[in-house]
Amino acid sequence: MKARTYGSFLAAAATAVIVTGALLFVPLKPLAGQDAAKGGAKGAGKGGGKGGAKGGYQPPTGPTPRKADGKVDFSGYWVRPYTPDMSASATDMDGKPFPPENAAARGTAAPPPPPPDPNAAPGRGGRGGGGRGGRLLPYTAWGANNWKNYDPGNGDYTGACLPFGLMRSINSPDPLQVMQDGAFMAYLFEQNTWFHLFPIDGRPHNKGIGTWFGDSVGHFEGDTLVIETVNFNGKTRLDTNGHPHSDQLTLTEKWTRTDMGHVTYEMAVHDPKTYSQDWKTLRTFTLGNDHIMEYSCEENNKALYEGRIKAPKYDE
Amino acid sequence: MKAKLAVFAVGLLSAAVPMLAHHSFSAEFDNTKKVVLKGSVTKVDWLNPHIWIYLDVKDEAGKVASWQCEGGAPNSLTRNGWTKNDLKKGDAVTINGTLAKDASNTCNASNVTLPDGRRVLGGSSNPDAPKE
Repeated sequence: MKARTYGSFLAAAATAVIVTGALLFVPLKPLAGQDAAKGGAKGAGKGGGKGGAKGGYQPPTGPTPRKADGKVDFSGYWVRPYTPDMSASATDMDGKPFPPENAAARGTAAPPPPPPDPNAAPGRGGRGGGGRGGRLLPYTAWGANNWKNYDPGNGDYTGACLPFGLMRSINSPDPLQVMQDGAFMAYLFEQNTWFHLFPIDGRPHNKGIGTWFGDSVGHFEGDTLVIETVNFNGKTRLDTNGHPHSDQLTLTEKWTRTDMGHVTYEMAVHDPKTYSQDWKTLRTFTLGNDHIMEYSCEENNKALYEGRIKAPKYDE
Repeated sequence: MKAKLAVFAVGLLSAAVPMLAHHSFSAEFDNTKKVVLKGSVTKVDWLNPHIWIYLDVKDEAGKVASWQCEGGAPNSLTRNGWTKNDLKKGDAVTINGTLAKDASNTCNASNVTLPDGRRVLGGSSNPDAPKE
């Protein structure tokens, strides 16, 4: 198609900036049930601001709930920070953050910050050299090459409504409903109305074909539920920004319900093909008072139908 | 009522309020190409994964062009108190958005404003927008 020109055109000098994982999920209304949500929502939404979370819904307080057998109960509607870039909050397994990544050259470290300006007024020194949140994960050669060459314009599986996979679904801005009985836990993702069901009674993994969401098994270590997921098909990405993984990925989640209204969630990545060392992220989930809704990604995916998004092709 | 056209690309990076996206924004839209559309709504599709706002925009010469602009996801808009009736056929609107890479009359709507200045359907699917 011909490029468009317009009556008044100001040349765009800036390059695209990717908002990375520093963005938390801040709804335009309080984190609330639907009744409170509508009241807060109309005010906040039509006010156009992000103040909905201020002075709004507060999660319930109280001790950590438990099942009849004494195991911690993780059931609930969990609001999670939208995490489009896991690298922004990633650390090594000892909790040390990785260095800033060069936003203009994936897979390389950001240049050092300029020296402080001795003539600068107090409080107005130069910014650090790290860009806006992206950090340099410990890639192997394969991982770095994969990351450098990733272009969703060549095939975007989530844009094509293919299964997001476990990590991408956890990172999604859409709510998650967790249901738990004695032997099983189910993640009910509003994102595309997907689910992921897995045992939490300590049984071993199945040995089947690789899948989009992987094969998960869980067990309790004290009050922490540890969930290990393996056997991924390697067709997904860890986050919206596209950080890579292979079919050798093992994800280890640790759910700790610190009180009625909060979960501390740790996710560790082990993928020796993609990363030279393990790394992890830590975030807090908040209990909401709502329920998940149906979400049919496929019902009007105009971007795909009209060719602006390409579906990826997978070779077996 | 067909509002007068103002279609121009601006070099400034708009302060979008990102809402929820299920996929890479930059695969579809060019964050360096902004547009402001002033026109009349012809249809609103309140469907997943994104709502779509269709509008007729008249240029200085009086020629009408049809545009389509992607909005947020219906579920998140609903939770924020919006409904498909908040914008109706015939409403005059100003849409600040980001152009699609395919050079069609397609944008991602950062914000939608009525003539009296009220914003409706707050938020966009633009997580790649500059930090708001």
